[in-house]
Amino acid sequence: MVEPVYLIVVALGAAFSLGLLRKAGFVMHHLVLLLSLATMTAISAQWTVGLFTGSVSPAAIPTAGFSPPISINLQMGKTEGFLTLLVNLSVFLSSLFMIKTVKRRSVYVPMLMLVFASGLNGIIMTRDLFNLFVFIEIMSIALAGLIVLNGDIQQLGAGFKYILAGALTSGLMLIGIIFTYHTTGSLNIDTIANALTPELKAVGYAGLFLIFIGVLIELKPFPVNGFGLDVYESAHPAVGAVVSAGAATATLYAFAKIAIMSGDLFLELSMVVGAVTFVGMNVVALQQKIANRLLGYSSLSQVGLLVLVWSLVKWQNIANGDLIVLGLLVTHAFAKATLFWLSGIIQKEKIEDWGIIKQRIYLLFPFAIALLALIGLPPFPSFFAKWELIMALAANQSHLAIALILGGSLVEAVYLMRWFGHAFKNTAAEDETLSVSFCQLLPVFAGGLLLIGLGYPASLLSATASPIPWMLTAFVLFTFAMEFLPAKIKNIIVMAAIAWYGYPLLTTIGGYRVIFAGIFVIGALVTMIPGFSHKGNRLGFYPSLTMMFAGLIGIIEAKETMSFFFYWEMMTVGSYFLILRGKNSKPHALSYFLFSLGGAYLILAAFGYSFGQTTSVSLDTLSQVASTPYAALVMLFLSIGFMTKTASVGLHIWLPGAHAEAESDVSPMVSGILLKAGIFGLLMTFIALGDQKIGFVDIAYVLSWVGAISALVGNYLAAMQEDAKRLLAYSSVGQMGYALFGLSLMSHLGWLGALSLSVIHFTYKVILFLAVGGIVYRLKTKNMYEMGGLIRKMPITFFAVLVSIIALSGIPPLAGFGGRWVAYNAVIEKGWMLQGAIIGFSGIIAFLYLFRLIHTIFLGQLKDAHRKVKEAPLPFLLPQMLLIGLVMFLSSRPHTFLAPIGEIVKEFKPDGALTWTGPLAQSHLGYWDGVMVMWVFMGLFAANFALLFIMNRRAQPVKQFNIVYAAERPARPETTHFAYNFFAPYRRALGFLEYPLATHFFDGITDFLHAAAGFIRRLYTGNGQTYLFQIVAFVVVVFLLANGGF
Amino acid sequence: MTSTIAMTTGILLVLIGLFAILTQKDLIRIIVGFSIFDIGVHVIMISIGYISDATAPIIENLSQLGQSYVDPVPQALVLTAIVIGLGISAFMLTFAVFMFKKRGSLDINSFRDLKW
Repeated sequence: MVEPVYLIVVALGAAFSLGLLRKAGFVMHHLVLLLSLATMTAISAQWTVGLFTGSVSPAAIPTAGFSPPISINLQMGKTEGFLTLLVNLSVFLSSLFMIKTVKRRSVYVPMLMLVFASGLNGIIMTRDLFNLFVFIEIMSIALAGLIVLNGDIQQLGAGFKYILAGALTSGLMLIGIIFTYHTTGSLNIDTIANALTPELKAVGYAGLFLIFIGVLIELKPFPVNGFGLDVYESAHPAVGAVVSAGAATATLYAFAKIAIMSGDLFLELSMVVGAVTFVGMNVVALQQKIANRLLGYSSLSQVGLLVLVWSLVKWQNIANGDLIVLGLLVTHAFAKATLFWLSGIIQKEKIEDWGIIKQRIYLLFPFAIALLALIGLPPFPSFFAKWELIMALAANQSHLAIALILGGSLVEAVYLMRWFGHAFKNTAAEDETLSVSFCQLLPVFAGGLLLIGLGYPASLLSATASPIPWMLTAFVLFTFAMEFLPAKIKNIIVMAAIAWYGYPLLTTIGGYRVIFAGIFVIGALVTMIPGFSHKGNRLGFYPSLTMMFAGLIGIIEAKETMSFFFYWEMMTVGSYFLILRGKNSKPHALSYFLFSLGGAYLILAAFGYSFGQTTSVSLDTLSQVASTPYAALVMLFLSIGFMTKTASVGLHIWLPGAHAEAESDVSPMVSGILLKAGIFGLLMTFIALGDQKIGFVDIAYVLSWVGAISALVGNYLAAMQEDAKRLLAYSSVGQMGYALFGLSLMSHLGWLGALSLSVIHFTYKVILFLAVGGIVYRLKTKNMYEMGGLIRKMPITFFAVLVSIIALSGIPPLAGFGGRWVAYNAVIEKGWMLQGAIIGFSGIIAFLYLFRLIHTIFLGQLKDAHRKVKEAPLPFLLPQMLLIGLVMFLSSRPHTFLAPIGEIVKEFKPDGALTWTGPLAQSHLGYWDGVMVMWVFMGLFAANFALLFIMNRRAQPVKQFNIVYAAERPARPETTHFAYNFFAPYRRALGFLEYPLATHFFDGITDFLHAAAGFIRRLYTGNGQTYLFQIVAFVVVVFLLANGGF
Repeated sequence: MTSTIAMTTGILLVLIGLFAILTQKDLIRIIVGFSIFDIGVHVIMISIGYISDATAPIIENLSQLGQSYVDPVPQALVLTAIVIGLGISAFMLTFAVFMFKKRGSLDINSFRDLKW
C-alpha cells in the first residue's frame, strides 16, 4: 500500500515542479497534471478496494514524528478512501475534459488544478481542526484562481464574491477554532470529541458554533448561496464539475467531521438548514432558464439534501446511514459532473437551445442517465439509497422528513425533465454545428457508465433490498448495445426476447397475475408488429420500449416490494421516453412523468410504512399491514399512487395529451397495455388490505365514486373531442373508471367485471388506436372533421373499428356485453345504486363518441384531398386482424375466459360467484348464455342484412357532387363541416362537465410554485455586499434559532 | 489584564472590519476592511494563549525548563493564519485590479452581471 500522505505529496509536488517546468510547453504541463491525478486516483482506489475487501485495516498517519494529539494526523478509513477516490477521479476526468477547451494555455491552470486536488484530499483525510481550516483555504484559493480561467468580467465578479464570502466565513471559523482549543485544550477532532463533557459543551458552545456555521456556509445553504450560484454559472464547465463533484463532496465530509466532533449539538439545526436548502433551492430553480445556473441550483439543493439526510440518519441512528449518504453523494457527484461536462460540449447558455445536442445524438444517453440518476430512478445508486432511507424513515415514523424529501425531489424532477424535453424536442438553428473531441467524450461517457455500474454494488449493500431480477435490466442494457442495428432487426430481436421470457412466465406465474402477464406479454408482441413499418434504425425507441415492457413484466414477477418498485419506476421511465417521441408531446410527456413520479413516491411511502409496521419486504405479507394502525394510510397511498397510472378523474389530466400525441404504434401500447399496470396495482392493494376506513369514511366507497365520476367525465369529454386520438384517450379515462368502480365493489362479481373489462379493453383499445393510427399515418391529420367517407378507401380499418366499438359499447353480442352483465349484477348485489346509475348513464354517453368515431371518419363525404388514399399499411392491419379474431372468440365463447377469471377471483372473494353450466352463467339475479345470444344476433343480423340487400336494389346511387353549393368561402372551413362541434346541443346541457377543474387545480399549484420562485430568487441580487450581509444575518438568525432566541 | 485588553481590541477590530466590509462600496476599501477584520482575528488568537508574566516558549538550555511559558500553539497557528490572510488580501487586490481594468469602476454595485 502506498502511504495515503502521498495523495497530498504528489499533488503539491507536481504543482511546484510545474513551476520549474514553465517553459516545457502545454503538452508536458498537462501530461504532468494527468499523470499525477491518475497516480492519486490509483492510490485511493487501492486503499478503497483494500479497505472494503478487508485486506488492509484503516490507517492513521501521524506527521512530524509525533503521534496525535501532539501532531497533526491524517486518517484513511473506508469513507476517506471512497471519498478521495471520488474526488480524485472527478478532478482527473475534468482535467482531461479541459485540455482542448481551455483558452488560456498557461502553466497556471494545471498548477491550480493540482493545488485544488491536494486541498480536497487534505480536507477529507485530516483529523486536525486547524489543518482542516488550512486545507479549506488552499482549496478555496485554488478554486478562485480556476474560476477566472477565461478572465472575463463575469468570472472576475463571481470569483471576487466567492473569495470575499470565503474570507468572511473562514475568519469566523478561525475564531471558533481558537476558542474551541481554549476550552478543550486540543485541536485534534477525535480528542475534542472525547473531551466534550456536557459542561464543556456549554462553555465552549460559541466556539463550536462558529466552526459549525463556517463549514455550513462553505456548503452554501439557502438563502446565503448567491456567491456560489455565480461561480457555477460563470466558471468553465469543467471547473463547475470539480466544484460540484469535488469541493462539495470534501466540504460535506468536513461538515460531517465537525458535526460529529460537536456531539449532537447541531444535528437538529443542520436538519432544518438542510431541509430548507433542499426544498428552497429546488423551488427557486423552477424559474431558471440558464443551464449552468440551473445546475448550480440543483447542486446546492442536492448538497442540502445530503446535509438533511446525513443529520437525519445520525439523529435517528439509522443502521445503514453512512451507506445511504454515500449512495446519494456518489450519484450526485458523477451525475452533476457529467451534466457540467455536457454543458461544456453543448455551449448553450439557455436550456431551450439544448436541441443542438441532437447533432451528436448519442450524447442524449449520458444526458438522460445523469438526469434520471439525480432524480433517484433505477438502476442508479441513488435509487437504492432513497429506498433505504424512506424505509428507515417510515419505520421511525418521520412523516415530515418523508414528505419533504419526496416532495422536494418531485419539484427537482420538474425542471430536470423539462430540460430533457427541450433537448430532445427543440430543433437547433441549421447553421450551428456541435464539435466534440475525444477528450470531452471520455469523461462524459465515463460518468454515465460509472452511474450505471455503481447501481449493482449499491443494491448489494442495502439492507432491506431483496435480490432484484436483474435479467430484465440486463436485457434493457443490451438493447443499448444494439442501437446501431436497423429497426426491423431490433424489432425481431426484442419480440423474440419478450416471447422467450414471457412464455414460461405465463405458464408458471398463476393466480391473478397470469391475467396481467397475458395482457403485457401478448400485448407487447401484438403492438410491436406495426414497428415493422419503420425504416432507419429508430434510435432510442427500442431501449425505451424494452424498459417499459421489462418494467411491466418485472412488476408481475416481483415478490418483494423493492423489486416491484424498481420495475415500476423502470416502466415509468421507459414509457416516458416512448411518449416523448411523439411530435407535439413535450409538455404532455412531462406531465405524464410528473404524475407517475408523484404516484410512485406515494407507493414508495406506502411500502415504507408497511415495512415499518411489519418489518417485512415481501409483497405477500402486505396483508399483515391490515391489522396495524397504518392500514388505512397504506391503502390510501397505494390507491392514489396506482390511480395516477389508471388516470382516474382528478389525476387524469396527463392522459389525453400523452396518449393522443404519442407515435401511432406507441399509443396502443400506452393505452391498451400500460394502463392495466395501475389496475394490477389496485387489485394487489385491495387483495392485501380489503376494506379500510379513515374515520367513518370507507375508502372503497370513496373510490367507487371516483370510478363512477371518471366514467362519466371521461366518456363525456371523449364525445366532445375533435381529435380522434384524444377521443380514444378520454375514452380510456372512462373505461378505467369502470374498472376502478368494479374493483371498489370489493365483491366477487365486481372484481370479475373489472378483470374481464381489463382484458377486453386491451383488445378493442389496441384495435382502435391502431386503426386510427393507420388513418393518421395515411391522412396526416388527427382531426375528425378533416376526415369522412373513408369506408370505401379503408374497408378493413372500417371493419376493425366497427367490431371494436360494438365490443366497447357493451351491447350484445360482442364481448363487452358479458362484462356489463356482470357489472350490473354486481351493482345490484352491492346496492350502490347511485354510482351504478352514473355508470349506466356513462355507458349511454359512450354511444355518442363511438357513433361519432364511425360516422365522422368513415361515413359522409370523402374529402377531395383523400381521393387517392390507400388502406392502412399491413403492419398496422395485421395486429388488428389478430385482435379481431380474439374479440370474436371471446365474444362467441365468453365462458372460456370468464369462468377461469372467476376461479381466480374465488380465491379472494368466494361469495357470490357465478355458476357455469357450459356457456350458461347464473348469478342469483338471473342468467346469461353468451353463445346463445351470439347465435340469436347472428340470425337477426343475417335476416336484416338480407332484407337490406334486397331493398337496396331499388336505391339510386348519387355521386358525391350531385348537388350545388352557393355560398361564400367560410372563414374557418371546419365550422361548416357537419362533424365539427358535433354534439353542440349536448354541450349546452352538460357543458359544466367540461370545466377543467383538475387542470385548474394542478395549474394553480404550478403557477404558485413558479411565482414563489420568481419572488424568492430576487434574494440573489448579484451584489457581493448583499451576499455578505446575508451571511452575517444568517449566522445571527441560526444562532438565535439554535438558542431559542425567537 | 493584558490578555483582556488584547481580546477586547481584537473583538473591536473584528467588528470595525466587519462594519467596513458591509458598508463600504469601494472594492479597495472592502479589502482594507477585510484586513482589519483579519488582524482582529489574529489578535484574538494571540490573546487566547497569553499567560501573564510568562516568557516566550523557546527553550535554549535546561535551566529554563521550570519557567512558565505562554501557550505556543496559538502562536504557531497565528503565523499560518497571517500567511493565509496575506495571501487572500493579495489575491483580492489582484482581482480588484483586473476588475477595474475590465470595467473602469471599483464600485461593488457595478459587478452585478450575474444574478437570480
